[in-house]
Amino acid sequence: MNRIIEFENITKEFKILNRREGLKGSIKDLVSKNYSVIRAVNDISLSIGKGEIVGYLGPNGAGKSTTIKMMTGVLEPTSGTIAVNGKIPYKNRCQNARNIGVVFGQRTQLWWALPMIESLKILKDIYQVSDEAYKSQLALYESIINVKPLYNKTVREMSLGQRTLCDILAAFLHNPSVIFLDEPTIGLDVSMKSKIRHLIKELNARQKTTVILTTHDIGDVDALCERIIIIDKGSMIYDDTAGNLKKYFGAYRTLKLKIKGEYILSDIIQALELRFLNQTSMVVRTSEEWISILSKEDEAPIMEILMFMQGFILINDIKIEEINTEDIIKKIYEGNI
Amino acid sequence: MMKQGFRYYLKIYGKILVQNIKSKMSYRADFFISLIGIIFVNLSGFITFWIIFKNVPSLLNWSYYEMLFLYGFSLIALTPVQCFFDNNWNLLTYVFSGDFIKYCFKPLNLFFYYISEIFDIKGIGQLVVGITVLSYSWTNLGLDFSLIILVKLIIALVSASLFMISITNFAAASSFYILNSAYFVMMLSNKFKDYAKYPITIFGGALRIIFTFIIPIAFMAYYPSLAFLSNKEATFLTYFTPVYGITFFYLSYKFWMFGAMKYNGTGS
Amino acid sequence: MNKFLTLIKSGILVTLRFRLGVFVTIIGNLIYLIIVYFLWRSIYLSSGNNVLNGMTFEDTMIYLVLASSMFTLLESYLTWRMHEDIQSGKIILDLIKPMGYQLYKSLGLIGEMLFKLVTTLLPTFIVVYFLSNFHIQLGINLIFFFLSMIIGIVISLCIDFLVGTICLYTQSIWGVNMIKEVLVLLLSGAVIPLNFFPQPLKNITMYLPFQAIYNAPLQQLLNTELSIYTRFSSMGIQLIWLVALLLICKVFWWKSLRIITVNGG
Repeated sequence: MNRIIEFENITKEFKILNRREGLKGSIKDLVSKNYSVIRAVNDISLSIGKGEIVGYLGPNGAGKSTTIKMMTGVLEPTSGTIAVNGKIPYKNRCQNARNIGVVFGQRTQLWWALPMIESLKILKDIYQVSDEAYKSQLALYESIINVKPLYNKTVREMSLGQRTLCDILAAFLHNPSVIFLDEPTIGLDVSMKSKIRHLIKELNARQKTTVILTTHDIGDVDALCERIIIIDKGSMIYDDTAGNLKKYFGAYRTLKLKIKGEYILSDIIQALELRFLNQTSMVVRTSEEWISILSKEDEAPIMEILMFMQGFILINDIKIEEINTEDIIKKIYEGNI
Repeated sequence: MMKQGFRYYLKIYGKILVQNIKSKMSYRADFFISLIGIIFVNLSGFITFWIIFKNVPSLLNWSYYEMLFLYGFSLIALTPVQCFFDNNWNLLTYVFSGDFIKYCFKPLNLFFYYISEIFDIKGIGQLVVGITVLSYSWTNLGLDFSLIILVKLIIALVSASLFMISITNFAAASSFYILNSAYFVMMLSNKFKDYAKYPITIFGGALRIIFTFIIPIAFMAYYPSLAFLSNKEATFLTYFTPVYGITFFYLSYKFWMFGAMKYNGTGS
Repeated sequence: MNKFLTLIKSGILVTLRFRLGVFVTIIGNLIYLIIVYFLWRSIYLSSGNNVLNGMTFEDTMIYLVLASSMFTLLESYLTWRMHEDIQSGKIILDLIKPMGYQLYKSLGLIGEMLFKLVTTLLPTFIVVYFLSNFHIQLGINLIFFFLSMIIGIVISLCIDFLVGTICLYTQSIWGVNMIKEVLVLLLSGAVIPLNFFPQPLKNITMYLPFQAIYNAPLQQLLNTELSIYTRFSSMGIQLIWLVALLLICKVFWWKSLRIITVNGG
């Protein structure tokens, strides 16, 4: 398989200026520096191949955007070697930029006041896309989604969803080998989300573009990613297939109960805690009229929980669900592997 | 800087420019009212001189028409910064919100791409007033005109325009270095624009040195104008204007780019 | 009366948070005054007279320095704020308040103006008073100045409201605002004292409302030769403009409300 992105022992440290207040402070800052060093990315090695869709996950401030900035050549790593398409991105940002596409959730990269088609034409010139390639690319877009009505709209007039859609199309225009999507579905409604996921999936399938997707929306991951990389506090804590992630956590299941009458959640939790003292990874939540209890089969079997609950609660309805990716990732973040 | 070559950048700039103008034209009412607005602003400067010279015959040996020459010259020299470099005014907001990063992903020179985004069309109104006032004073002063003089004039105007562009670059780029106080720097630097239309000789000695070498306002109209006015002696600084302008612009560009890199490097 | 005070107080608080803004205004004013000083010094030097149009260099400088700090006071950004209220839809909330939109906005602005009065105009006045060797007379003229300035402030607010309302129709804030700014500054005598205007132009300005904003109060303060009769008649003219503009404002606003409810709703 073709290697598109290679990271070898990449570390990135920032010297953070401890800023002082006010104008006087700013002037002082110019003269005497008061730095502290923060390690944003800690010894990460990874390798991403052609055509992969990788879910790049982690809590805010985990180092996701720093990694992406290094891949796009905006930042230079403190140590380690990095290659995108076999070249070092920060050595020549412009050249690297020709082979990548970037979409930043809510920061459009299209020209605000121009009709979308004019933005595309300018991008065609910037990336020096040939007329034939440009035409076939537009034809491809039109075959996937109904984009024509958007051509003559300015970005200003578009809804957030339409804007994101157009941003994605613009990023794919020059057929880059890798695309970075930063929270592409943030703030969108369900139908727009599925539209955008469909678009990404199609473009990836037809053009074999590598897609690196950072998101907090687990729906994106479930719909698109075969591989998941999870990063926390600058270190990589998971890099494997999405399927394996679920297999690993297969022992977990969620019991959902619909209850008759009014109960106080904290009372239920207390009762469960008393009953299953050895239980460390149990999570209890409520949503609307459902109570959901996540537990590990060998510590607290679902049947036992059910029977215990029945002892003091009137149950109307039950459901048993396999663990979803969101819960898994939450567990990994919490360090309860 | 321009690894892709000058023609590539020129073509892209032209394309963005044409589109920008087209889109501005589609808000016709706003376009015309803004144009009238800027013409009003610049005419008020003219009227101010007119009223002043109703009270005095000359201003420290500068006649009415010579002052108008300076004024017209400064209006033209200040047009490029108004028309082409207006996005500098938004830099602080982009840096503050973190949105600046979006300019870093295109295979283009960062400064070029950022600046090319906005074209402020109402600057045309300033150009029209400037040319009118300059021609009016030119005729009334009975100055010679020839092709060579025109070429000289264009060189002088272009070099003069570099100074305000550079000052704006410096002020805007201060957002990269001192985020909290950059607003202050930008507002103040813009105030100096009003100084360009006066002969430097009206100031006291210390200010003259400051406005020549530190904040080179005197080059926006005064020094280059001396080459054309028959009653005035051109000095060494007059002919130094193009060299100084290019150097100053280059420094401001470097300051801007270095700031952008430094800012990206802090991972904000 | 209590709710009025609360609103005025909120205006002051908002301004306090923008202390940096005040700092910018003060330094910005200083930069403007440097050029004013040198320009007028050379005008007096070139004329060869100590007195031009009845004003000495000192008189002119006192007049222009005070005018510049009055400008700071009067800068309300009202047009932009109205535009913002309409764009964000906030205006609908303001319209259902048990108090007219114009009054509601004005009270907040008056709070800001009181703040600026204390932070800019008052210090400027004191500095000018001492720097000019007590050149400003402190007597009955202070009361006339104060009253006249208050009328001037309300007139200026009315004009801002009118311009803001015009912008509902034109959708062009920058252009309309610029035209207003230039007209007000030039024809009110804020940039050049009206004494320096050629007579025909001066006559015209006297028939316009703009002189009531800067020229009238500053004359009350600085022109020691004004008779009581002139003082009262000057204020009378101000009051006539005030009433006329308030009426026009009110009527125009009511006529224009429909646009907001159609566009901004």
